[in-house]
Amino acid sequence: MSENLLLKATGIVKQFGGLTAVNNVDFNIPRGSITSLIGPNGAGKTTFFNMITGLYVPTSGTIVFDGEEIQGLKPDAVTTRGIGRTFQNIRLFAHMTALENVLVGQHCRLHASLLGILALTKKVREEEAAAHKRAQELLEYVGLGRSRANELSKNLPYGDQRRLEIARALATNPKLLLLDEPTAGMNPQETDDLTRLMRKVRDELGITVLLIEHDMKVVMGISEHITVLDHGAKIAEGSPEEIRNNEQVIEAYLGRGAAAHGKGGRQTAATGLRT
Amino acid sequence: MNPRIRAGLAGGIFGALITLISVDQVVYLAGMLAGTTAGMMVAYMEPQKKWLDGLRQGIQAGLLGGLFIVIAKLLRAILINPLIGDSTDLGGQFMLGLNGLVIATIISAIFAVIATLPRPQDLIGRYAMVAILTLIYPWIDQYFQYRFMGEVIPVLVFVLMALGLNIVVGYAGLLDLGYAAFFAIGAYATAMVASPHFGISLSFWLVIWIAAAVAAIFGVILGAPTLPLRGDYLAIVTLGFGEIVPIAATNLDTFSLSILGFKVIDNINLTGGPKGINPINRPYLPGIGAFQSSQPIPWYYLILIIMIFSIFFILRLRNSRLGRAWTAMREDELAAEAMGINIVKTKLLAFSMGATFSGFAGAFYGSYISAIFPESFRFEVSVMLLCMVILGGMGNIPGVILGGLLIQFADRLFLPQLSNMMQSIISSPQVQLPSSLSFLHELSFASDFRLLLFGITLVVMMLLRPEGLIPSERQRMELHADEEPVVEQQQTEVYTARNQETV
Ligand SMILES: Nc1ncnc2c1ncn2[C@@H]1O[C@H](COP(=O)(O)OP(=O)(O)OP(=O)(O)O)[C@@H](O)[C@H]1O
Ligand SMILES: [Mg+2]
Repeated sequence: MSENLLLKATGIVKQFGGLTAVNNVDFNIPRGSITSLIGPNGAGKTTFFNMITGLYVPTSGTIVFDGEEIQGLKPDAVTTRGIGRTFQNIRLFAHMTALENVLVGQHCRLHASLLGILALTKKVREEEAAAHKRAQELLEYVGLGRSRANELSKNLPYGDQRRLEIARALATNPKLLLLDEPTAGMNPQETDDLTRLMRKVRDELGITVLLIEHDMKVVMGISEHITVLDHGAKIAEGSPEEIRNNEQVIEAYLGRGAAAHGKGGRQTAATGLRT
Repeated sequence: MNPRIRAGLAGGIFGALITLISVDQVVYLAGMLAGTTAGMMVAYMEPQKKWLDGLRQGIQAGLLGGLFIVIAKLLRAILINPLIGDSTDLGGQFMLGLNGLVIATIISAIFAVIATLPRPQDLIGRYAMVAILTLIYPWIDQYFQYRFMGEVIPVLVFVLMALGLNIVVGYAGLLDLGYAAFFAIGAYATAMVASPHFGISLSFWLVIWIAAAVAAIFGVILGAPTLPLRGDYLAIVTLGFGEIVPIAATNLDTFSLSILGFKVIDNINLTGGPKGINPINRPYLPGIGAFQSSQPIPWYYLILIIMIFSIFFILRLRNSRLGRAWTAMREDELAAEAMGINIVKTKLLAFSMGATFSGFAGAFYGSYISAIFPESFRFEVSVMLLCMVILGGMGNIPGVILGGLLIQFADRLFLPQLSNMMQSIISSPQVQLPSSLSFLHELSFASDFRLLLFGITLVVMMLLRPEGLIPSERQRMELHADEEPVVEQQQTEVYTARNQETV
């Protein structure tokens, strides 16, 4: 069983001063799965992502990725080992073109050395040409045609920016792709397209996907495993079916014993749970 | 305003300023510069497809620019020449002005016609034209006896340094206020291995690489402590390094080092102290022999070759994975890191690559002047270099070159000429200065006002055109983002506002 785990996090704790954002969470991602991490606002989902990708160092706990402990590694070292990510609030390189953004994503997979670059050796030229070609392919793969390639990323429509972030993450050649609310702010049509893209990434490219998502229709439709965080603690995990019927989860989303009076986003989310 | 009029005005004002303050023959140079400016500008602002249209457009802009030169020549003949004892022969001066006008028109027309060629050819043509003008300049200088070469060469040294600083500031976005330190290090490295100071006399062609390597190493050494710093803090620390290096050079004339009580180095004169190191060996080429200070032409071509090589290498860096990593880091350091970019390595490479070109400049300058003093590398130099980068357009090589040329020529040729002229006017017998203005005799205009003038230029630039004269595309879009009608942009902001705080 454990060889089939791509990532295994054990006893993860993260404290910010007095605040415990993630509290003693064990978390597994089976190889080749689409796994979702859900929970109300402020539950600690993004913080958990940031620990996996090296942006935060866990206060305690271990993260084993593909047989190697990665907690405390620098973000670029984590990325090089095969974890790509997107950000909850888009963090593209705003004044670089779409193509350049994807090229940057390939950085850690290119080998041109300083001397090679200065001498512009045949090897470097070929590598650059291949990188450009691959960047184009990735843009097309996520549904951004050639016409968009040379636009500054900040000038792209919102939905395309989200896609571009995914293309950039794919360019790092990840084994595991972390997506932080990729459909946030999208209309239903865009959300459907993006859901299809996520499934395609897993099925065609064989990349394991870890998804943070508030849209329960997406989560329930696409994930094989779901983990629920609330106030930093894991309160449930299992198949979509199990999560849908888990009393604790419903409570977490709606507030204790207040199913009928739940408000706003929580109401919608929980309604999603029930569908 | 009509682009032709604008281009003509810009070229004309440029040419007229030069004409006003210079002696007769310089009008040819003024014509060349005015024509180049007008022709390039008009072709850029109003691109034409047919060569005849380009020709017409270029001639119109050139004529307008030339007109200014004629007027300036006449004004000088009537107003200034009588005071300073130059020729007042109106007819002759008018003819000179006309010559300037013809040259301006021809050159402007050539540039405008070249710009009508299809894509790669127009660029090749334009650069070829600039290259020709640059290559023949020494003969123009000699023929008309301008004697500007002694200033042109240091100008190019500074432009080379601005190109290096542009890597650090423009590409990688690291504000470096102490860049002159690497110039000093390159020059001192040269002085130590190619002068009687230590009795080592390596060939210049080897020394220039040593100087660049030493500067690059110091780029890493001085860059390392700044790694965790950003923005203002980084600027302050680099400012400190910029001050430390010349001070160290001043004091390292009695250098001792003891390790565990053993004197390893006892009282060595490393840097020559405040007096500096003098003389430094000159480059030697078979056929030309050792370069002489009285023979500027070999120096001119040498610095041009160094510059062209540097631009060539900088472009390669720019278009490589390293160049992209610099830009990405500048845009968003955290996202860059999450995309697999090693920030430490990338920053240090920016510092050391930037320093390398300053090392070339230092090696050249040291052997050109044949002497170095700690005083030549003070803060002022770093600031001037930064101004050059900003004025021209951060991150864009043609912009940086233009900014560098403008500031340096203003500083080394224009202002001194202007102040000479002012001095002769003030001290001419026809001018009776009221006693309240007699202090003007004491002022040497150029040196007293140059920093003020730079300051004013910078402030005006920042207000009117913060992206620089020839901005890189990125820079321009960044600063004028609010002027672009981007509908989706607002949408994005609404969606992301919710999650501003978290990563
Ligand atoms: N760098 C930080 N410093 C201090 N507190 C932080 C930091 N990052 C996150 N937190 C806190 O940790 C808690 C968990 O935040 P996190 O962003 O992980 O939640 P989330 O589950 O991603 O929520 P959302 O659905 O709104 O994105 C919050 O209370 C947040 O304020
Ligand atoms: Mg979050």
